[in-house]
Amino acid sequence: MTLGRAQFSRRGFLGLGAAAGVITLTACGSSAGSSDKPLVMTVWGGDPDRKTYQARIDLLVKKHPDLKVKLQLIPGDSYPQKVQTMIAGGNGPDIMQVAESVNTYSSKNQLLELDDLAQTAKLDPEQRFGPVGSLYTYQDKLYAIPDRSGAVTVFYNKDMFDKKGIKAPTAEWTWDDALDAFKELTVPGKVWGYSGAEWFPQWWSLAYQNGGTIIDANGRPAVASDEVVEALQWAGDLVFKHKVVPSKADYADMGPDIGGDQAFPNQKVATHANGFWVMSGLTKVSFGWDIAPMWRGKKQAVSAFGSGLAISRTSKQRDKAFKAIDFLTSTESQAQIIASGQDVPANLEVQKSQAFLKPSWMKTDVDMGVFAESSEFVFRAPFIPEWNEMIDTISNGLADFWLGKERSAKKALTALQKDLEALIKSGA
Amino acid sequence: MATSTAPKAAPGAAEKPASPKPRKQKLSTRRRREALSFYLFISPWVIGFLVFLLGPMIASIYYSLTDWDSFNPPKWVGFDNYVKLLTDDPVFWKALWNTFYYAAISVPLGLVLGLWLANLLNKQVRARKLFRTLIYLPTLIPLVATAMIFRMVLAPNGPINDFFGLFGLSGPNWLLDGPWVKPALILMSAWGAGAATVLLLAAMKGIPRELYEAAEVDGASATRQFWSITLPHLTPIIFFNLIMGLINAFQIFSQVYILIPKGKNPAGYDAAQTMVPLLFDQAFSYYRMGYASAISWLLFLVILVFTVIAFRTTRRWVFYETEVK
Repeated sequence: MTLGRAQFSRRGFLGLGAAAGVITLTACGSSAGSSDKPLVMTVWGGDPDRKTYQARIDLLVKKHPDLKVKLQLIPGDSYPQKVQTMIAGGNGPDIMQVAESVNTYSSKNQLLELDDLAQTAKLDPEQRFGPVGSLYTYQDKLYAIPDRSGAVTVFYNKDMFDKKGIKAPTAEWTWDDALDAFKELTVPGKVWGYSGAEWFPQWWSLAYQNGGTIIDANGRPAVASDEVVEALQWAGDLVFKHKVVPSKADYADMGPDIGGDQAFPNQKVATHANGFWVMSGLTKVSFGWDIAPMWRGKKQAVSAFGSGLAISRTSKQRDKAFKAIDFLTSTESQAQIIASGQDVPANLEVQKSQAFLKPSWMKTDVDMGVFAESSEFVFRAPFIPEWNEMIDTISNGLADFWLGKERSAKKALTALQKDLEALIKSGA
Repeated sequence: MATSTAPKAAPGAAEKPASPKPRKQKLSTRRRREALSFYLFISPWVIGFLVFLLGPMIASIYYSLTDWDSFNPPKWVGFDNYVKLLTDDPVFWKALWNTFYYAAISVPLGLVLGLWLANLLNKQVRARKLFRTLIYLPTLIPLVATAMIFRMVLAPNGPINDFFGLFGLSGPNWLLDGPWVKPALILMSAWGAGAATVLLLAAMKGIPRELYEAAEVDGASATRQFWSITLPHLTPIIFFNLIMGLINAFQIFSQVYILIPKGKNPAGYDAAQTMVPLLFDQAFSYYRMGYASAISWLLFLVILVFTVIAFRTTRRWVFYETEVK
């Protein structure tokens, strides 16, 4: 056929498209990889995270020269999509950071069971990480080794507390003690006593303190129970009844993307409960601050933030990947996490070490022992396979509640319970 | 390169004249070279189109008929995804309604604003070049930056509500309060009217002066001139803006994603979730690729229907000068 005649008919063009379509379909199943390639490790975060992970990898390579690790840092909000694409393309990461949504992967058969590998390597998660060691198990199988793990702690503005003559918060504070202090600290329109009621790890802590659960022991949603209702009502009342916590409208007026994490360093709120990362905004502030363990309800309970390291099922170098994970979660490598001020290492020995209790970068005197203390009463959050949808459903379901349009926690949670039941059909 | 190809192709061409299509003449070398360079230069686009657009599109038809979590092999489910979307998914209908709401207001508003601005800028006023630049400028600002600015502008005690305050009105919590989120998105879309303005302005410059002169002699007022001369001449551009506006409005994503982030502002997101954000959630957050593919095809159909309707009505209102002559 001559070039001049090589005209494409519409049908021929569509046919080529179909061929490309078939290629697209089949390409999703293919995979390639040899054992000489470096291990690919995916993590999320920003530049400080990159430095810390790289420092830990450098230590690993020094100790085990046979291992090569290529670090891929992906911004947090696109991490799931990126990893999903890698796995679907047959080139999943060898080592992969996972967190609350771990079981969306494990339930879809995308993560390697680590029990045998751990046993061979003589890594006992319970001994190395305490109760957190079994956090990433699904149907009694271990899918990730804890890497970072820090409880929610109460950040408080020492200067404001001193000025009002209020004693520092303790783990023995009751809900009433907390409310009294917040009321005392609030200057209407200027300073709020507390922030950190609305995000799920924050109000869940209260629900668990009150004896409630989000998902019950049988794997069914349980948010409409009296215990959860009472806890959410108390949290909501902080915002709309007592007005000791900024509302969404108050935050929006402080500027775009302002929440408790920014309001606390700006002295807009006197107390704040959140994760370790709040400290990064506090290194340059001029006021005195410290941390305390979360207060208590009927019992002690607090959320924790963390992540683990898993091996994707597509990995061609499982043994090497586990060897790397074993080292990355050892005391030597985990000490880097706190030395750089990135996060709380999951390794208990490091959490109790002098390097953690007195980090070199910490200019003020902060009671870092709070993290080890809190880790004893961290409740186990329900990492169900439908985690992402559950969180979206909860935040949608409670949207009107946190806007103050629906003031009854009972009504909001009863409706939410129905939505969750529709979503989570199978009991574990 | 062309000389080496041409002799090879020639024998093939010589054999063909016996074929039952006598109307195809043997091409001259020059024509053949022209054809060769045509295919050579168009091939990057063709290959890109086939591999990155048409191929995946056809693949997604298949996926829309399966239950696929993007990890494990897809399971064939027939039309289940479509049936579920149309009969058993309130979120889909809500997203579709939100998308219609947004498109139905933002597209006409953008056209009217663009026309009005273009007409103003076409007048002989001082510093009109500066004004033209200023009105086009917002379209050059990256969307993320625009969204950040709008979050401040639309804050409960932001400048817009302060302005309302001057008249004793208390403005709404734009991005937080359900019914006000979609108007806020539309407000932000109006910010980008400058793009249409520039096109309309260029078309206005192309309208022959003598038409206006003749109209003036006949005693037509400025308003009359606008409706009888300017507007008819602009209809092709208005039509172009309408089609582009429709497609863009139905596919709105980034504005929703940035202005009312799901994680931080669930109420706002819930009130203004449109089709593409819904599709994105299903595909990349809930791992329902098959379901998401079905949504994308339904969205494609919706856009197709509206575009076809727009094209069908062109004879009634779009005026092409070349067709008259």
